Amino acid sequence: MTATTSSTATAGTARRRRFQEVVRTSEFTLVLVAVAGFVVLAATTHGNLLHGATLTAVFQYLAVPILVGLAQMVVLGVGQMNLSVGVLTGFCSMVAAWLMVQAGLPAWLAIIAGMLTGAAVGLVNGVVAVVTRINGFIVTLASMTIIDGLRYGVHGTATYQGYSHGLVSLGQGSTLGVPNAFLAAVVVAALVAVFFRRAALGRQLLATGGNPLSARLSGISNDRSIVLAHMLSGLLAGVAGVVEVALSGSVNASIGDDLLLPSFAAPIIGGVALAGGVVSVVGTCLAALIVRLVDVAQAQYSIDPSWVNLIVGAVVLGAVLLTQIRVRQRGSRR
Amino acid sequence: MSAPLPQPDPTIATGPTSDQQVAQPRAVRTLPFWANPRFGLLIVIAVLVVVFSSLRSSFLNVDLTIVPMQADLSVFLVVGLAQLAVLSLGHMNLAVPRMAAISAFVMGWCYQHLSVPLWPGLLIGLAVGATVGAAAGWIITTTRVNSFVVTLALDFALVGLVSLLYSGVGDGVAFNVHPAGMDSLRTDTFSDYCMGNLCGPPVPLIVPIAVLAAIVVGLLFRVSRVGREILMTGSNLRAAELSGIPTSRRIIQAHALSGLLSALAGFLLAINSGAFSADIGSSFMLPSFLGPVLGGTLLSGGAVSVLGTVLGAALTEVIRTGLNLLQFSVQQLNIYIGVVLVVALSLDRVRQVVAERRGSRS
Repeated sequence: MTATTSSTATAGTARRRRFQEVVRTSEFTLVLVAVAGFVVLAATTHGNLLHGATLTAVFQYLAVPILVGLAQMVVLGVGQMNLSVGVLTGFCSMVAAWLMVQAGLPAWLAIIAGMLTGAAVGLVNGVVAVVTRINGFIVTLASMTIIDGLRYGVHGTATYQGYSHGLVSLGQGSTLGVPNAFLAAVVVAALVAVFFRRAALGRQLLATGGNPLSARLSGISNDRSIVLAHMLSGLLAGVAGVVEVALSGSVNASIGDDLLLPSFAAPIIGGVALAGGVVSVVGTCLAALIVRLVDVAQAQYSIDPSWVNLIVGAVVLGAVLLTQIRVRQRGSRR
Repeated sequence: MSAPLPQPDPTIATGPTSDQQVAQPRAVRTLPFWANPRFGLLIVIAVLVVVFSSLRSSFLNVDLTIVPMQADLSVFLVVGLAQLAVLSLGHMNLAVPRMAAISAFVMGWCYQHLSVPLWPGLLIGLAVGATVGAAAGWIITTTRVNSFVVTLALDFALVGLVSLLYSGVGDGVAFNVHPAGMDSLRTDTFSDYCMGNLCGPPVPLIVPIAVLAAIVVGLLFRVSRVGREILMTGSNLRAAELSGIPTSRRIIQAHALSGLLSALAGFLLAINSGAFSADIGSSFMLPSFLGPVLGGTLLSGGAVSVLGTVLGAALTEVIRTGLNLLQFSVQQLNIYIGVVLVVALSLDRVRQVVAERRGSRS
């Protein structure tokens, strides 16, 4: 069927088919939803959304959700999950702030240390999951509980503030009108995308997630893939924590409490299957934007914050249903 | 579809015998008794009780420690059972906390505004929980989406809904209604009820409810046809389907059971804490997995251990109470409970490997 059509296809139908393929991707749907949501918001708030300060805030506070969503996406790619993403973000920002305020380290060193803390915790998660063969869900459930405790061990419930002014002005500043925090998230997202598309290690992670048995038969170490994915996830959570430190100017141990659910929402709405083997960096970022728009709408219309959870929950379910319907249609067409 | 129906019935009838046949060769190299996770749990609990009571003599104080411990344990046991009901399928129910919360809201609302008596109110709450659970199961079977995603999204939605309900329909964040019988259920133990000189043991009145739930769930999975079929669905969906089990219906039933038990847990917690409030269930997520997983229930489905869940919940409760008495803060407590979870499961793995090696050598 494909052979005959492709042999007789003219350039026009080929282009139309390609266009149709682009239209059918879930990323395209997400772009439409995001643009529509943005336009509706801008119109109903009388252009308030397009004012400099508001627009900057929308994208500034998009950085952490994107990073946290990517952190979850990486482990979902190998067919595992990481429940410790949210609390780990909080823990890393506490560690970075502690290093600057208490230990008096320069900001750049504290940033690196914060990110490495995330990577180290992720490494431990991965090693425990591989060595003990305990389900990754349970391992990270345990590490979530442990880190939740450690988070408060750094500085109790008190707040760190007044650390490195340079870092904070960098985090809150803009380059060419684009908020630096958002820029950092986009750069990281691009790196993650290149890693999964071009790097051999990235392809191996996806192979492990897609089919562990065939991955092993083609000489890929599944154990290494799982450890690597957890470490990357921790590193990304660390980056999110550091961005949070630079962006907010003051941190306390409650950071990360409300990040676990968004971390799952972004990749799942973005079309990442929980079964593993698939990642969509663009989808994850777009989904994070959509979730952020729900947040913005809540603030703009000053409605009860509880609606945000209700709507995001409904959107996740809706996205899942839609993906399933699409997969089924594609299956029946064949 | 009607034609092949008579065929599967004999398969089900011979189910138990073929089960035994499968078990026969395995019985040759059964694991030694110490490889049983339940046995290990029992020893750890005993050791911890000795350690804690030697460090703090108040650990064995009946009124201060033993009675509240039993009341808490009842809640966490039922929470664990709620998760166990879907773990039997190899599914998860991340919405256990919020199913408890929404049922608690409905119960509180019925007590407050309709002045429903205590027990009929409980039945209404259980029905709500079962309905929400069944809805989750229905979504999972019709969309064939991972149960994790569905219940996570449901949890999201219910978090919002519950707080909206409390601020809109309810009176702020809690119902402070106390239907007749609630207070005695909360504070009394059987030792308060005497026949002549013979008083009952110092067991809170809500303990029998949890024990009854455990027995019913245990019997369901051990002897009832529905329970066995749920387990078969969990161990191999395709095989279960081919042998004529209505797998979709079993999945929905297991999730409904999970919702029902979540509602019961919400009720018990409301009794313990004395109010039907918005934060009921918010602490249920970790305990719901701790009990069953420590007790040896697999996440992969097909096997459950109710006794293990009882012991797993008891272990966490002993640790919690003990560390509380040693004046650890809640955060430090979390660290230790997380460590215990990892260590216990790792030891379990070590024990299994060692046992298997010995078994194959002998």
